[in-house]
Amino acid sequence: MIPSNKTKDVVLTALWDDNPVFRQILGICSALAVTNLVLNTMVMGAAVVFTTALSGLTVSLLRKWTPRVIRMMVEVLVIAFYVILFDQALKAYWPDMSRNLGPYVGLIITNCIIMGRAEAFANTNPPLLSFVDGLFSGLGYATVLLCVAVVRELLGMGSLLGMPMPFFSSPLWDRWIIMVMPPGAFFTLAVIVWLARTIQVEKDTKKETKS
Amino acid sequence: MTIGNHMLHLLVVLFAAVFTDNILLARFLGMCSFLSVSRQVKTAVGLGFAVVFVMTFTTALDWLAYKYILQPYAIEYFRFILFIIIIAAFVQFIEMAIERYSPVLYQNLGIFLPLITVNCAILGASLFMVIRDYNLAEGIVFGLGSGLGWMLAIVAMAGIREKLNNARIPKGLQGPGITLIIAGLMALAFIGFTGVLSG
Amino acid sequence: MALREKAWFPIFFMFVITLCLSAVIILFGSITRQRVKDNERIAYERAVLQALPIELPPRATPSQIHNVYITNIQEADASSAGALKYIKDDSLVAYALPLAGPGFWASIKGLIGIAADLRTVTGIAFYEQNETPGLGGEIVKTEFRTQFRGKKVAVKGVPLEILPATAELDENSVHAITGATQTSNRLGSFMNEQLAAWRKGMNNQP
Repeated sequence: MIPSNKTKDVVLTALWDDNPVFRQILGICSALAVTNLVLNTMVMGAAVVFTTALSGLTVSLLRKWTPRVIRMMVEVLVIAFYVILFDQALKAYWPDMSRNLGPYVGLIITNCIIMGRAEAFANTNPPLLSFVDGLFSGLGYATVLLCVAVVRELLGMGSLLGMPMPFFSSPLWDRWIIMVMPPGAFFTLAVIVWLARTIQVEKDTKKETKS
Repeated sequence: MTIGNHMLHLLVVLFAAVFTDNILLARFLGMCSFLSVSRQVKTAVGLGFAVVFVMTFTTALDWLAYKYILQPYAIEYFRFILFIIIIAAFVQFIEMAIERYSPVLYQNLGIFLPLITVNCAILGASLFMVIRDYNLAEGIVFGLGSGLGWMLAIVAMAGIREKLNNARIPKGLQGPGITLIIAGLMALAFIGFTGVLSG
Repeated sequence: MALREKAWFPIFFMFVITLCLSAVIILFGSITRQRVKDNERIAYERAVLQALPIELPPRATPSQIHNVYITNIQEADASSAGALKYIKDDSLVAYALPLAGPGFWASIKGLIGIAADLRTVTGIAFYEQNETPGLGGEIVKTEFRTQFRGKKVAVKGVPLEILPATAELDENSVHAITGATQTSNRLGSFMNEQLAAWRKGMNNQP
């Protein structure tokens, strides 16, 4: 992956080609647990975008001063800083959501993706670019989670964002309780990964046959 | 509570942590290493033991830190950073100790230790312990149980994946895809254990 | 830069960064601390009011909730065996008994309202629970809670039974939540334990 300095390339790369979840299935740890409700997933996604973008910016701003030997510790500190701020704000201004998300907001700190972006990109790129990279990495990640959440909430509870949906909340649809439980998240993500990978493989084969 | 009731309660916490509230299959924690190190039973067992060891001790240490450092000064929100530091320091310390005193153990176990620092299950166990307001005994048992549960999941996964080595899996499902499906089936199976704990 | 290469620089840098970041967090924490406490208090007061036959406007603001609370609710004393009292026009209307116990995931805390006749249930509400959303978490929803209104606490045996969704109900029982067996069982268990203890305490009144 050659980092290009053009913003558009950075955006596209972070969002699709290098989309962490599609390609590497890293860091889904925390977030899958909250994907049973779309609203919770949106807040979780916001937390990840907030953290990845701002920590990318901060690490990049500090990169000329940070000694090599403590580089990773500084990255963890910066990431933890933004996560704690978000967690505290949630606790104060949206306590119900804070209780719903439980420890999972805090676990964003150990999220491999964010550390990965800081190491791979923010350490060696200018602040604005690092911010954009972090922003779109986080968005790509949040998008996949939202896909899982939409499937789970729709099929499992017949609603989206808490509002009952036309067909799925009627007696005609027998709610798939399995979608409300952990296995549902595993299966949904597996299907999404399958679709994404198959598309990717087809794209790669087309590229190969063209060249 | 009588001693008998107390022991029973701890056993329930242990059982729940291993089976019904499995930190990986029900709580989704520790999946990074789960997805990548679960190809061979041998490595899975090694990593599993390391996780059990670290998790049990760090939940105890984190409980003490929470009770005697964070709470008295009302800075509970620092628990994220403090727990991570404790975990990293403990792993570092153990790695040095093992390397020094038992090269054999280091060969089998020590190489997994750096992988553990980034394992979200370790931090997650401590965070859950705080949320559920466990006392020290419950916390340690919970840590032990979570570690055992995680190890059980990864060893079972490795066993299944070894058997699948010769299966023809569609290209799109290879790697993470099929692992997620197996995990889902395992999670489904573990839900069956809920009936064991009644009343 | 010569400063960067000095041997003590990494430690100094680490120290400064930690200090700056911690300062911001502590500042933010102290600003929000009162708010966090208030939130918890309001959640508690709202649950008390929901368990009793008190009318609350649908989108009540925290200050409205607080006002209704302080005008109508008296704290527990010796004559109520631990329950809060709902006093209207100088007469006791109902009690609100605090309930607390282990749910499936973490502890559940709530209150159950019992009318002055010590038998009719006026309502039930929860202010703390961490059960599975969509399953055990449904205990906070109106569908589950309105079942309790008008039920009677049994004089003999189990005060209030939480039965499977297919069972026949009588005036002493409500339906559990489908798919949330553990949450329903545990709630029923500590709820009845505490109801029985309270009833005993009230019967021992002079």
